[in-house]
Amino acid sequence: MSRPKLLALLGVGLAAAALAEEPRPLAIVIHGGAGVIDPAKMTPERAASYRAGLAAALDAGYAILEHGGASLDAVTAAVRIMEDDPQFNAGRGAVLNHEGDAELDAAIMDGHGPRAGAVAAVRHVKNPVELARLVMEKSPHVLLVAEGAEEFALEQGVALVPRGYFRTEGRERELGEARRAESERLHAASPPGSGTVGAVALDGAGHLAAATSTGGLTDKHRGRVGDSPIIGAGTYADESCAVSGTGQGEFFIRQVVAYDLCALVEYRHLTVGAAVREVIHEKLRRTGGEGGVIALDRNGNIAMDFNSVGMFRAARDSRGRRDIAMYRDAR
Amino acid sequence: MPAKNSASAPRYALAIHGGAGAAPRAQLSPERERRYRIGLEAALDAGFTLLERGGSALDAVAAAVHLLEDDPCFNAGHGAALTRDGAAELDAAIMDGRQTRAGAVASVRHVRNPIELARRVMEKSRHVLLVGAGAEEFALEEGLPLVPNHYFRTAERLEQLEAEQRGRHVSDLMPAAAGTVGAVARDGDGNLAAATSTGGMTNKRPGRVGDSPIIGAGTYAKNGVCAVSATGHGEYFIRAVAAHHVCAAVEYRALTLEQAVRELLHEILPALGGGGGLIAVGARGRIVMDFSTEGMFRGARDSSGKREIAIY
Repeated sequence: MSRPKLLALLGVGLAAAALAEEPRPLAIVIHGGAGVIDPAKMTPERAASYRAGLAAALDAGYAILEHGGASLDAVTAAVRIMEDDPQFNAGRGAVLNHEGDAELDAAIMDGHGPRAGAVAAVRHVKNPVELARLVMEKSPHVLLVAEGAEEFALEQGVALVPRGYFRTEGRERELGEARRAESERLHAASPPGSGTVGAVALDGAGHLAAATSTGGLTDKHRGRVGDSPIIGAGTYADESCAVSGTGQGEFFIRQVVAYDLCALVEYRHLTVGAAVREVIHEKLRRTGGEGGVIALDRNGNIAMDFNSVGMFRAARDSRGRRDIAMYRDAR
Repeated sequence: MPAKNSASAPRYALAIHGGAGAAPRAQLSPERERRYRIGLEAALDAGFTLLERGGSALDAVAAAVHLLEDDPCFNAGHGAALTRDGAAELDAAIMDGRQTRAGAVASVRHVRNPIELARRVMEKSRHVLLVGAGAEEFALEEGLPLVPNHYFRTAERLEQLEAEQRGRHVSDLMPAAAGTVGAVARDGDGNLAAATSTGGMTNKRPGRVGDSPIIGAGTYAKNGVCAVSATGHGEYFIRAVAAHHVCAAVEYRALTLEQAVRELLHEILPALGGGGGLIAVGARGRIVMDFSTEGMFRGARDSSGKREIAIY
């Protein structure tokens, strides 16, 4: 063996040894939706309240990772907390469809497997992300919808809640405004997909996971399903990349955004940051789609980007980073 | 001017499938095989005639799938596989490679031709996917008449369901009835389109949605890259984002369509434990039909004169 080759091998060996000693990186990234409130209308009180909601979800998820928990548990916990928080468009406080009901979609994907579960158009499930996880773990299926999904929930011992549980005054007002608006103005009046929630995480075993949950669009057609519960569109995780999206779901579905981003990382060898930029600022914008994504790779590299006014987002990792932001300038 | 290219690459092309996991060769009587072939030929030729007359790839795949839905031999529309409750629950998707527009419906029980409703979702709504009762509400708004659920039920599918329910309780895990239908096409203008329609698996849980209506999983089309329609064990195709995987492999890794399809069906899906097949057409009209099951009902025809119908 030539001397340079031997040295190179030694170098690889030393690097591997150094890696083995250093603990693997931990990271969690969450979002509370793109297309957030007009900065002019964001009062300091509301901003503080959103920040507190994001911080609670972020830290709960991170605590699980810190205690050696799985990324799957971390994303479930973070999303569940945001589902329970009426500020976000998921679970309680979800936007209302044309009939005035919340119709909820959620998905979860374990990059190690890969395994996935999703539910769509459920109306009586308090925490759709938990039902999505049961679909993944307790059924041979990936996607269950509507009444069939609720039947499965009951079989699994998940208690259903009345539709009124999800409705909040704010969402009823938004629906009223949307119904009054001309259909054209309606699109502008209700920021698309605002408030969808999601999380991606990397655990100490090096496994990635992603989860997304949403009430979809205000005044949406009954039965309309967006990108959140569609594996590859709004939610995706494999061994090297995890993504959760938020925005105009129809564009995310058509462009298979979450999977496309991971394909760019894997096949074009882009960093997650570069892949997110290409998908959000080039590909999505080209078709007129609006929204954002959070992404994470197996080395703990974090990307959060959007082409909308803002995106509620937060990130925390084992290198000491802890950010919470809403608008472009990291406010 | 019309040099080598026009001689080697067909101007327009259509491929269809009637499902992978065809009945074991030994169990398929000559009479039944003849019925399948007749159904495939009718759909193939109807779609191809549209392409010949300058029609769009979108119209060709819609027409072919519509006929396969109406044919009780296939697991889509009339003759769809039945849920554990004995009802038909149908899923379909269509995608236009021109602007990567798409429409899909899932879990509908009263729409005679789900592919037509999927197309309405694409063309008349601002959405891509509608499910369940909401999708049927949209059908009514669009003036599509609904049919009673028993329209879809055939004696043969009832027998299959009963056999499944009597038999070994592996039903939840193995897709008993294949027969999902699909089509992909390239038209004379170079546009690509894909469509897929299915009743899903026999004895399935109500509300279960497979890969067919999931854009990127069972159905995908993008001009300049490829169009794909898949059939098989849907859960695996969803996890692998199968249809988009093929197109991403062509676009980002410069794999040939054959290589991309082979990698998916014979490496990636088997590693996950899944089987099935798919049809694809490339940007220049090249057709690929491949499967990891014993057979796949399929047909292909293009403007260079190729015409084939095959099962195994």
